[in-house]
Amino acid sequence: MTATIAQPQVFRVSAARLMRKPSSAVLMGVGLALPALCFLALFLMIPAVRLIAAGFLTQDSRGALGGPVTLSHFTHFFATALYSHVLVVTLRISLWTAALAAVLGYPVAMVMTRSHPAITRIVTFITIAPLIVSVVVRSYGWQLILGNGPAGLLNYVLLSTGVIQTPLRLLYSETAVVIGSLHVFLPMMVLPLASALGRIEPHLEEAARTLGMPAWRVFHRITLPLSLPGLAVGFTLVFSLTAGSFVTPAMLGGTNAQMLGNLIDQQITAVYDWPFGATIATVLVAIVVSVNLFSMRVLDGKRRASA
Amino acid sequence: MSARLTGGMAWLFYPLTAATMLFVLAPLAVIVAMSVSANAFAAFPPRGFTLAWYGRVLADPDFLSSLSFSAMLAAAATAGALLFGLPAAFALTRCAVPGREALRVILLSPLIFPVLVVGVALLRLFSDWNSNSAPFNLLIGHILVTTPYVVRTVTASLLLADLSLEEAARTLGAGWFRVFRRVTLPQIAPGVAAGTLFAFMVSFDNYPISMWLADAQYVPMPMLIYRQVASIFTPAVPATSTLMILFAFVVVVLMERLAGLRRAMAM
Repeated sequence: MTATIAQPQVFRVSAARLMRKPSSAVLMGVGLALPALCFLALFLMIPAVRLIAAGFLTQDSRGALGGPVTLSHFTHFFATALYSHVLVVTLRISLWTAALAAVLGYPVAMVMTRSHPAITRIVTFITIAPLIVSVVVRSYGWQLILGNGPAGLLNYVLLSTGVIQTPLRLLYSETAVVIGSLHVFLPMMVLPLASALGRIEPHLEEAARTLGMPAWRVFHRITLPLSLPGLAVGFTLVFSLTAGSFVTPAMLGGTNAQMLGNLIDQQITAVYDWPFGATIATVLVAIVVSVNLFSMRVLDGKRRASA
Repeated sequence: MSARLTGGMAWLFYPLTAATMLFVLAPLAVIVAMSVSANAFAAFPPRGFTLAWYGRVLADPDFLSSLSFSAMLAAAATAGALLFGLPAAFALTRCAVPGREALRVILLSPLIFPVLVVGVALLRLFSDWNSNSAPFNLLIGHILVTTPYVVRTVTASLLLADLSLEEAARTLGAGWFRVFRRVTLPQIAPGVAAGTLFAFMVSFDNYPISMWLADAQYVPMPMLIYRQVASIFTPAVPATSTLMILFAFVVVVLMERLAGLRRAMAM
């Protein structure tokens, strides 16, 4: 996502061209960015730091946070099987979702970038349009499809065609959450992939074909390796967004497939344990940040190696 | 454009893409089909045909108040996002700010930070401030999640705009504001408008911020539907959901007409 906007060459040219009086241009830039930065600092960075700090504090009987500073909430989280299980489930669901998104998304991105403009337009429309429908509505649609018992769409079809004799139990499982998350975050895989595929020099593929390389080898030796950065961006996005989700596991996973987000909600709204809720939030942020840093590292390394 | 898919690759990728498109459309199609079923239970197969549920939804005061509140919240949040996002995108593309790359990462960081955690952090902040006004708290939260989308789209539009035109205007003596209004703005307007619509829908659809900051009086649309699905038994849920899908569909068509969907999302 971010990689598609970064065009350092354009930046440099524009800056050099417009910078008649360097100092005033700098001042203007800072002035223009300042309101947004202050807003972010006040309502995102400071509250986030304070929330993370709350995970190391102690809550007294009246609900106020204070000393002593402690690591006990973190040890409690990792040592309690119930909680570490939720962590494992979160990682497992996110990994499956990101991997399946790559498998499903690759053909879509290929068709999006390499077919008749009309087909490109339709595929782009169908891929992106559901993104603008609320996750609540989409999860509800999956509830109707996956519904346990003979009245769920899938069970109804499978039972009436005689494929199965007893209804499947799909809803309220990890599988259901993976299906729902895949539906929600598929565009986040397809779009970075499509922009990576669109940037590949067409002559490279043409030249290989002209020299007699079969289509699948062109794909394997040229297209696939050159699209890896897009795949990495998509994987990172889908993984981090799935790990932080709440609605999909709440509506499709129920109590059988709770994720970290549901645990945070439970600790803060039901148990009113702020330090522990903050601890779980910190674990979630740590997962998301480390996955993003790792993928930025890998992508930067690749860019440097190819330069 | 790149070479077209041919031969075995086409035989492999076209059917797979078609299957994925069916997967994407299935849950939406199912909701629409159930919304006109005469059966009071959301059960298969749908029976009969009725528009009665729509009549019931459109007469439901809870639905109407949630709809108007969500629309106002999204409009206000989008306005706020433009107010912060437009100048910031301009700074990123047209000015010599120090540490531009870091600035860009910071401005887009709410896209990666788990939205749910943003909501919890804000709840903590607002309760410490004794800020009890749900509309105000929700507005701040929604500006926070929509601003990065505006920054991203506007940045992309500004990068696509022709710089030599701006330079020519400046050489001919136009001041920076005049250059912006007469040269830059007309070029970026479609992209900005499409991006603004997308930001509107990001706020309109948001659940993980609203769930922390809403109260009993101000219930945004997604929370209303969530409640109707999870706790109260309401046979009109498919109709309500279909109305949401139709609204989204209209907006998507507008976005596509204005600038193309990928440009609107800058992805």
